[in-house]
Amino acid sequence: MSEKLNSKQLSKKITDEYMEDAFRAHENGKLIGYSTAISPVELFVAHDIVPIYPENHAVANLTAKKGAQLCSITENLGYTSHLCAYARSDLAYRESGITVTKGIPEPDLFLACNAQCFTLTKWFQVLARKGNLPVFVFDTPEYVMDKRAREEIVKYCVLQLKELISFLEEVTKKRFDYDRLKEVMKYSAQSSILYKKFLDMAQYKPSPISIFDALIGMAIAVYRRGTPECVEYYQTLCDEIQAKVDQGIGVLPKEKEKYRLYWENLPVWFKFSDHAKLLGSYGGVILTSLYVHAWSFEFDLDKDPLVTLAENYVSRFSNSTIEDRVDMAMGYFKKYSMNGMIMFMNRSCKAVSFAVPTLKDILVKRTGIPALVFESDMGDQRFYAESQVRTRIEAYFETLDRLQADKPAA
Amino acid sequence: MWENLNLKQVPEYAKDPYPSIKKWLKDKGKKAIGSTIADVPEEVVHAFGFLPVSLIGTDKPLKKAPSRLPDNACSLARSNLELALSYEGDLFDGFVLPQVCDTTQHLSDIWRISFPGKYVESYLAPRQVDRPSARYWVKEEIERLISSLSNWSGRSINDKVLNDSIALHNENKNLLLELYDIKKKNPGTITNKQFFSMVKLAMQVDKAEFNNTLKNIKANLKPKKGKNYTDVILVGITCDPPEVFDLFDEIKLNVVGDSLVTGSRYLQGIVAQNGSPVEALTERHMKSGFFSPIHDNVYKHFEEVKALYKATNAKAIIYVHIEFCESQEYDLPDLRKMIRQEGIPMHVLDTEYQTVSLSHLRTRLQAFFESLKGGSL
Ligand code: SF4
Ligand code: SF4
Repeated sequence: MSEKLNSKQLSKKITDEYMEDAFRAHENGKLIGYSTAISPVELFVAHDIVPIYPENHAVANLTAKKGAQLCSITENLGYTSHLCAYARSDLAYRESGITVTKGIPEPDLFLACNAQCFTLTKWFQVLARKGNLPVFVFDTPEYVMDKRAREEIVKYCVLQLKELISFLEEVTKKRFDYDRLKEVMKYSAQSSILYKKFLDMAQYKPSPISIFDALIGMAIAVYRRGTPECVEYYQTLCDEIQAKVDQGIGVLPKEKEKYRLYWENLPVWFKFSDHAKLLGSYGGVILTSLYVHAWSFEFDLDKDPLVTLAENYVSRFSNSTIEDRVDMAMGYFKKYSMNGMIMFMNRSCKAVSFAVPTLKDILVKRTGIPALVFESDMGDQRFYAESQVRTRIEAYFETLDRLQADKPAA
Repeated sequence: MWENLNLKQVPEYAKDPYPSIKKWLKDKGKKAIGSTIADVPEEVVHAFGFLPVSLIGTDKPLKKAPSRLPDNACSLARSNLELALSYEGDLFDGFVLPQVCDTTQHLSDIWRISFPGKYVESYLAPRQVDRPSARYWVKEEIERLISSLSNWSGRSINDKVLNDSIALHNENKNLLLELYDIKKKNPGTITNKQFFSMVKLAMQVDKAEFNNTLKNIKANLKPKKGKNYTDVILVGITCDPPEVFDLFDEIKLNVVGDSLVTGSRYLQGIVAQNGSPVEALTERHMKSGFFSPIHDNVYKHFEEVKALYKATNAKAIIYVHIEFCESQEYDLPDLRKMIRQEGIPMHVLDTEYQTVSLSHLRTRLQAFFESLKGGSL
């Protein structure tokens, strides 16, 4: 047996193998299915369709600061600068071939689940038009709070998953294997539990992980759900982080960890490490966001797989009501003992961001913690004002310091 | 209130229908339910004895909405929220709000939280229409709306009441279609602004009363062909502010076909009356065309627009883009390409509810139609 790989090595190995498999898909008689990051990809995996996530590819380019260059190429094609930077950078990649990775294979079909946004449906439609390819829209109505409505929504979603299976059978001319789906679900359920366990380690003091670790750690959950290697990866990751907890190792040393912060929205990808450093210098560490928890599914293997898939996908934070989103966030505030919050208004992601001002007001009221709100873009540097963001962060920590100084000693 | 308006009064009422709505509600002792567009079945709301009012923005200044919706949200969504938050909120006892795009993804939550004392219900129309589940879901949603309104109001409706409501709405649409037909053939009789104001007002006021107005207008019309009109097709969701139609009238454009939600998409919504009303309303939803931004693909939209252009012998297409509507913005480049490839001249108008510069629009429109006449397009 080969030497056990650490989580970083394992992540690289899984990713390399996955991409190799993807580029060879046609040789191996498999199709490439483009998918939204939140979608019942378990059906793809069970049907041997290689899932590719253009969002992930976009993240790689945006993190490498290619956003402004790529987005302007797309704008020259007639698209406006108000659209999601993932979509804009992807459309530019199609046009120019510019990417910091090896690129991604061309699609054969599309699965757009609108539990995260409707943008992806529109974006996939644009790509599909180029090759006249089939798009399946898995329509997840907002998971409104009424119990009866929820039952109906799940029923509608199950109906659609059945339609999706027929669609896949038709495209591949191959019968769908329900036993295989059960097996895939088992892996998905196991890895989801481990992924959540990993995220929840942020509850320790000092926290052994920050959101930046979570963002790196979530990649495999996004693109390898439903496979044994995904389970292995999260087991390894959890073991590593647990070892840190056991030794009291934190992102910041215990005495320096002053502010345990909540982050709302996606990250500013191209400022990723800068933000971590800057916040760290104030004793701040961002612990979590609803975004990273979007992949901590709770599949119930005793249920019909289609039902538990529908229930899980329709109830993601991005498809839940603002009131439910508040409750989800409040849960983490308590569990992780957070005492600060950064609310990012992300120009790119209207689906998530337009709820933020309302969400912020309620969270501030319920927690009594002030919020730092800033507007920018997750991937297009042209909308990022460095000095403004720095000044606001400084001012925010000053406020938190003052509040803490004013607090009567316990 | 609205039963005896003349052709000149219609645009005035349509520009600001709210004082008349307020008075009417008071006189009749009725309640109003507002809906943003599109596709909420107003027949159902009406059957419960409420006045269904489509909210189609305001040009009054934004005051409160920007703190809820940032400036890259579409102008229509911001303007509607402002309308309710600052200006006409008191008029409504409740709202039924559809979820159509990313901008509206959490909009009904924002409205519900902003108006804690009011009835706020979501209408979750499907964002796919090609599969059997879509029909299933439309029917479910209509039934859910009926039971939600029933729970809130303590009233109930039967098929007869709903069918009567449908008949009234159908009559309204038929009258508007007849008037549209007269206008298309005789642009000197009814201006673009007058006609589209009729449709808009019809979406906001009591149909029983307004149908009288429409009948009177029709009876008193003296068709005038008019001279030197250029026939055009209008494509988009809404076309606002109403002064945009003044520009069309000024440069003698005659809208002979359109795909607006505040136009033909509304008028297409005549419901069959031979069976279950809920089934018929469902069928109506499934049959509606012309709405690529939300659930149709752009090819279908293009084919429909092309067919309309050919059937009407129009000279050009005017595409009305609402500022920051991402749904339109994903479709537009390809739609524009397909239309160009077909050799159809198309002009894109960028509109905005609050601060649109009419003189800028006028200059661009004039330049477009001058070059069209010069044959250089
Ligand atoms: S960032 Fe937002 S809008 Fe863009 S693809 Fe993701 S969820 Fe959709
Ligand atoms: S479809 Fe466009 S106009 Fe309508 S609410 Fe959405 S963004 Fe606004």
